[in-house]
Amino acid sequence: MRLAFNEDQATFSTVLGQMLDNEAEAGFQTVEDWGRFAYGAALDTRLDEAGFFDAAREEDLGPVAAAAMIHEVAKAPVVIECAASALLRPFLGEDIPRPLAVVVDDAPGAVRFLPQARAIIAISDRAVRLARLDGQAKPEESLFAYPMGTIDGGLSWETLDVDPQAIRTLWQIALAAELGGVLDGGLGSVLRYVREREQFGRPLGSFQGVQHRLAEDAVWIEGGRLLTLRAAARLDPADAALALGHIQSHATRIGYDLHQFMGAMGLTLEHPLHRWTYRARALRAEMGGAPHAFLDYADTRWGGR
Amino acid sequence: MDFAWSDENDAFRTKVSDFLDQNLPNDWQAIARHGPGSREQTEFSLSFCPQLAAAGFLVPHWPAEWGGADRPTWEHFILGEEMWAAGEPRGGQYMNVNWIGPVLMRYGSEEQKHRYLPPMAAGRAIWCQGFSEPGAGSDLASLRTKALRDGDDYIINGQKIWTSYAGLAETCFLLARTGEGRSGIAVFLVPMDTPGIEVRAIPSLIGHGDIHEVFFTDVRIPSSCRLGEEGEGWTIISYALANERVGIPRYEMSSRELDAMVAELKSRGGFGNAAIRTRAAEAAAACDAARMLVYRVVDERARGEPPGTAANLARVAVVEADHKVTDFGMDFLPDCYSGSDHAAFQAHHERAIVTGIAAGAAEIQLNLVARRHLDLPKGA
Ligand SMILES: Cc1cc2nc3c(=O)[nH]c(=O)nc-3n(C[C@H](O)[C@H](O)[C@H](O)COP(=O)(O)OP(=O)(O)OC[C@H]3O[C@@H](n4cnc5c(N)ncnc54)[C@H](O)[C@@H]3O)c2cc1C
Repeated sequence: MRLAFNEDQATFSTVLGQMLDNEAEAGFQTVEDWGRFAYGAALDTRLDEAGFFDAAREEDLGPVAAAAMIHEVAKAPVVIECAASALLRPFLGEDIPRPLAVVVDDAPGAVRFLPQARAIIAISDRAVRLARLDGQAKPEESLFAYPMGTIDGGLSWETLDVDPQAIRTLWQIALAAELGGVLDGGLGSVLRYVREREQFGRPLGSFQGVQHRLAEDAVWIEGGRLLTLRAAARLDPADAALALGHIQSHATRIGYDLHQFMGAMGLTLEHPLHRWTYRARALRAEMGGAPHAFLDYADTRWGGR
Repeated sequence: MDFAWSDENDAFRTKVSDFLDQNLPNDWQAIARHGPGSREQTEFSLSFCPQLAAAGFLVPHWPAEWGGADRPTWEHFILGEEMWAAGEPRGGQYMNVNWIGPVLMRYGSEEQKHRYLPPMAAGRAIWCQGFSEPGAGSDLASLRTKALRDGDDYIINGQKIWTSYAGLAETCFLLARTGEGRSGIAVFLVPMDTPGIEVRAIPSLIGHGDIHEVFFTDVRIPSSCRLGEEGEGWTIISYALANERVGIPRYEMSSRELDAMVAELKSRGGFGNAAIRTRAAEAAAACDAARMLVYRVVDERARGEPPGTAANLARVAVVEADHKVTDFGMDFLPDCYSGSDHAAFQAHHERAIVTGIAAGAAEIQLNLVARRHLDLPKGA
């Protein structure tokens, strides 16, 4: 039992942190169009060129480093396709393009990252399939803070030579990491706000009604982060379902708190809060949401009726 | 990061749990019904802890000088998990081995160490912790019990409340005031048979004889009973808390009782409902989140890092876990909370309702998370 990063993972996370500090700053300042999201194309390219998306397959980094990276990247106010690239792609075979869009169990409707994606991955109990994209994706307007799209045109699917259950587990871990990171990023933003913003002659963050709710949120996020890292280390289906269920089940209350404590400012497009909370709203419902993750867990730990 | 136990850790856990399986008596569940503070369990600890000591399972983490084996932090912790999950057969003696002993090693005089440590290491010492008072609960620093210097003695007057184990304790680890403010607090190791001490049990939801009022009326003790210096009390209890850090590994019992609750439901064909299955998993998630947060504290300690805020987060999570499990049981197996067929669920319940209050309320931990971990400004 050792809950600290090994040396390689520590270096990896330090270098990543430095890149994100720059990029997050940049991303924060270039919110000029006040859009619902900003795709961090520059960050994406730099991470890709520096090989960050391949960490999961490197022995001394592994899925733990990949999951930690997904969490950290998701904290930034800009959005990039990281989760599937960092935790699925290394295990899907050779020559898999990225960015990736992922659909599970033929979920209907618009898909996250489809406008940017160069391939779509479809996960079901029976198979994991891939279709390369070349202009078939159509962007869709959306409430969510992700580039969303639908398929407009024929796709040619290939079945990948992988274990669908293992890929499903990886995807649960990736989603848990991304949702945890998104909530953590939003929490950081709200903490900065309530430390500064004064009402009744004192900072909002000095009121206990505010403090306790944010403190609870922090406990859930941190517990979720550790559950996710454990799942990444052990690649165990029960661990993965538990991590995802835990963070999805708390995302609703956390998202509510984040908006409440920023008042009207949090409803503007000028402030990027929505870039975290409206990613969280999308992720909260992925793979059927917390109840499905919990049912998966119950099946694995306790079996049937 | 490595989330697996080493072979050595696994082997140690097996040895401890085998020992418990083989040595806990058949009527242990009935004894453990009301928790570690109960009279039955405290009495039981006096026969069981010497057995643990003989087997090397009482103070393995203590230095050899005081009867230990200098075993590493994680082993100490695994021992705590197994003991708590089994219902805590050490009773109140868990306090001795976890923090009272180590505090005496650090702050005690030679005479105090030689007087108190050997009986603790042998499993024959019952202590109580005299901190809380009617007017000083969460705000412990406002305590009023006075220790007045009189030549080479102190005379103690005041009242303690909620004191566990006081009915059978031989010694009280007492906080009393020799001056004003936090720097006016000192620790005294007070023999409970000193004239002027009166103990009254408080009937409670967690059994009779678990918590007490302790009255001190003109209790005269020699100054050699003082631990450390006058005014050093607050530093000493801060050290004690840092030593204890995570407190009791409560999620371990919760997690095992959750399994037992599910097994009971399954035996009735009652675990098919998706809402019930979801609730069980949600409780499991709370237990494992608490477990991971606690492990981080232990890990920091094992790696020699100074105590940070991890323990505050862990303590909040542990409260949620305990409550989610007992709420699950009471919601879906309400019949198990009457009669005597399911003593373990009832025992777990009585432990769970205490979690957010004893050893510092959950809300105090939230204050600490907000202030220290989230760096939020102090309130008015
Ligand atoms: C089973 C049991 C065993 C115990 N054993 C011992 C023992 O052996 N020795 C000993 O000294 N003590 C013992 N205690 C006492 C325990 O330490 C106190 O109960 C605890 O410190 C809380 O104090 P209180 O009960 O007076 O609650 P109070 O301080 O009156 O607080 C009541 C509630 O108010 C809220 N609250 C208080 N302060 C704040 C704040 N600043 N911000 C927000 N909310 C707040 C919390 O929700 C708290 O639970 C025991 C308690 C129990 C339940």
